[in-house]
Amino acid sequence: MHWMKTILKPAKRRPLKNTNPITQTPEPINSSLPHTLTLLHKILGDSPDFIMRNFSDSPSEPGPIAICYIEGLIEQNLLSDLMEALIAEQASKTSFTSDVHSTINALKQKIPTGNIKIIHAENQMIAAILAGNVVILVDGVQVALAASIQGGIRRAVEEPTTQTVIRGPKEGFTEELSTNITLLRRKLRTPDLKFASRNIGRYTQTRVVLAYIEGLAQPEVIEEAKKRLESIDTDSILESGYIEEFIQDAPLSPFPTLLNTERPDTVAGSLLDGQIAIFIDGTPFVLLAPVTFIKFFHSSEDYYQRYDISSFLRIIRLFSFLIALLLPSLYIAITTFHQEMLPTTLLITLASQREGTPFPALLEALIMELIFEVIREAGVRMPRVIGPAISIVGALVIGQAAVQAGLVSAAMVIVVSFTAISNFVIPSFNMASTVRLIRFFLMLMAGMLGLFGILAGLIPILFHLVALQSFGVRYLTPFAPFTKSNMKDFFIRVPWWAMKTRPNGISGPNKTRQAPHQYPVNSAKKERCDEPNKQK
Amino acid sequence: MNQNITRVSELIICLVLFEVGSTTLFLLGGEAKQDAWLAVLIGALLGLFLLLLHLAIHRQNPSLDLFLLFRRYMGKYLGTCINLMFVGYFTYETSRNLRDLGELTVMTLLNQTPMWIIILITILVISNNVRYGPEIFFLICVVLFPFMLFTYMVIGILIPASGLIHYDFMFPILENGLKPVLKTAIPDIVSFPFGQTVLFLVFYPLATKGRNLSRAVIISYIVVALFLTLFNQLNILVLGPKIAANSTLPLLETVQLIQLAEVFERMDALFIMILFLGLGIKMTAFFNGAVIGLERITGVRSKKWILPLGAIILGLSFLSPNYTYHMEIGRVVAVKYWWPIFQFVLPLLLFVIMLIRKPKKK
Repeated sequence: MHWMKTILKPAKRRPLKNTNPITQTPEPINSSLPHTLTLLHKILGDSPDFIMRNFSDSPSEPGPIAICYIEGLIEQNLLSDLMEALIAEQASKTSFTSDVHSTINALKQKIPTGNIKIIHAENQMIAAILAGNVVILVDGVQVALAASIQGGIRRAVEEPTTQTVIRGPKEGFTEELSTNITLLRRKLRTPDLKFASRNIGRYTQTRVVLAYIEGLAQPEVIEEAKKRLESIDTDSILESGYIEEFIQDAPLSPFPTLLNTERPDTVAGSLLDGQIAIFIDGTPFVLLAPVTFIKFFHSSEDYYQRYDISSFLRIIRLFSFLIALLLPSLYIAITTFHQEMLPTTLLITLASQREGTPFPALLEALIMELIFEVIREAGVRMPRVIGPAISIVGALVIGQAAVQAGLVSAAMVIVVSFTAISNFVIPSFNMASTVRLIRFFLMLMAGMLGLFGILAGLIPILFHLVALQSFGVRYLTPFAPFTKSNMKDFFIRVPWWAMKTRPNGISGPNKTRQAPHQYPVNSAKKERCDEPNKQK
Repeated sequence: MNQNITRVSELIICLVLFEVGSTTLFLLGGEAKQDAWLAVLIGALLGLFLLLLHLAIHRQNPSLDLFLLFRRYMGKYLGTCINLMFVGYFTYETSRNLRDLGELTVMTLLNQTPMWIIILITILVISNNVRYGPEIFFLICVVLFPFMLFTYMVIGILIPASGLIHYDFMFPILENGLKPVLKTAIPDIVSFPFGQTVLFLVFYPLATKGRNLSRAVIISYIVVALFLTLFNQLNILVLGPKIAANSTLPLLETVQLIQLAEVFERMDALFIMILFLGLGIKMTAFFNGAVIGLERITGVRSKKWILPLGAIILGLSFLSPNYTYHMEIGRVVAVKYWWPIFQFVLPLLLFVIMLIRKPKKK
């Protein structure tokens, strides 16, 4: 591990070259309007979407008010309202130079926009324009006004493409940060829902918002998350994956220590468990932390379906996790080294199948697994129109024809396809990818040393998992260290009236979830029970 | 929030798995024939006294571990000397278990693989385990405990269910009097497996969170002792005292006999996995003890000692030319003459000195 760290860590830390004017030292806005406009023109250049509009009475001399904005980032209807107000204001007054503060305040009162800010520095002004504000400049005044009328093209709220459910809300996050926060707000109508915002990325200036419920989340975790987010200094953040790799606990671990989700209900549920969420502008995927291993096998639907079937499904998921991880390596180990473990009839069937196949079991399994990975990757990348063709090739040629041609045994096809299907049962995609990678490692170990090799491969993974932490929470909680009260939402999910506390170790000071005695009371039944007593 | 504190319960589970460890690999008290259970019980009883001695030492000064205690009460030179001997003991125990695992693998799972490959891979895995330190190791025991328990329970249910048990193998009780029983119990069974709890003097100070350590240790020890007696006697009840005593891996042979409804056949592969885990736990525990000892003696961080000590363990495991020789040393020479020094003589010496040097209360 150590040599890997030395390779991944640059030997010398060179300071980042700072070319983005937004992040440079702030300079106050010049009181001369033409000077400021020239500066803006110099910095934002000839971009076709950058608009500078000066309200002047005569074509020769410039007027006292100007507005600047980027066309695609604002809402046109609101803009025309704003301009109307400004033109009226300009017509009513002859001069703006009498008193700076009264001028700006008077102007602020008249503008028909909710979110309006006073800006003092040049770089703030540029940042405001790039973030979709309209900047209003007045000649002779050292400050500018930024009116937020963000708009433009954005995707509507749709059903999430990953983590689909049968029962439960069908809305998913979009690329728009404000929409995502709204979706969360609608679910958690409490003033305790807090947000801490920050722009990360020298070029992208991506808004990253930390969300948590005060009192439920652990203050240490919030502080730690803020600290980790603040220490990021890079030129771009385009997706939550960037943030994830910058802030995760074990950077070289194959196991994810942050959960990502597209679902507002998952985020709301996790916040209520005391976790924190990290929203990133420009992606529908929200990060959740601290997270434990078992969380990657929970679906938000588990909490909406009946408790018994959800518990059953959770066990099925863990079972398929084991299948996806171990089935090919077990097959290799048993057919190569420990044939005596199989019942005789099964052994004969397998042996007769394997008789004609040219490759040893390990090679056969590796080839089949690799072919499947190729088909799977092709399925993701190819244009949708070609889909059916690929599935025919995949199913017929690789499956049936390969067996008939005697290249692979039928049992191997069954093993590989069942493994592949099991892999899709894992609700979290990045945990499923981890399983895919570790599977190959275990297959190699099984091919060399049989069951002993599998065990020798599993033990280091187990130690790694036990030692792994996510924001100070052990990855295998509540299994190791054993936490009895967290067992109610682990393999099984107890009914909601029994879900009395939030998970220990993850949630903060407020642990009680509901009032005591929430067991459903059936008043009709109670009366019937009482009746015989009354007669006596 | 702080989850890095070892709880008493975690230590206890580790102690349980450590005691079971490789013990089920062998037949205890084979010379006592059908009275093996008596021999094991007597051994366990004496082991309990040893355990009480160890706990008494721990209670005198709960913040210090074995090595620090010797250093403190025996002086710099003598203490370091004894500590080095203990490190040697733990290292040698690790290497013995390593060899056991190698032999077991070659005998059962991988007949054609050279043993040095298996031993090399095992010591690499174990060294990696030790790298994480004892706290993580205790948590691993918590993870593995349900699987071990489940497997032993399945075996414990299936053997009687398959009708393999012959109760007449129990009788006659004390055919040759108490003497052969006592002879096998003392010191053989006391020093393996029960006396090995001396290692936990290194770990007791780590468990700071939770309730009464001594009581929990004693209760779990008694449960484990009864469990081991039961499983030991199962061998004799199924195989008979003669075959059981002469078999290399008696419980494995017993498990192989299980045949139920054509489904529960060949349980032995499953059982070998459990034996592997048990041996691994034992090795990791002893190895941890050894590197902690070297850290205490030299002041160099324990992680730096893993590789050199791992190499020594690897070398030591090849000391015996064959398995018979290995078993002869382990089950005849070491248990009678070597182990009692570490498990009984030295701790007793320490305890006496502790009592003498204890500041008198006024």
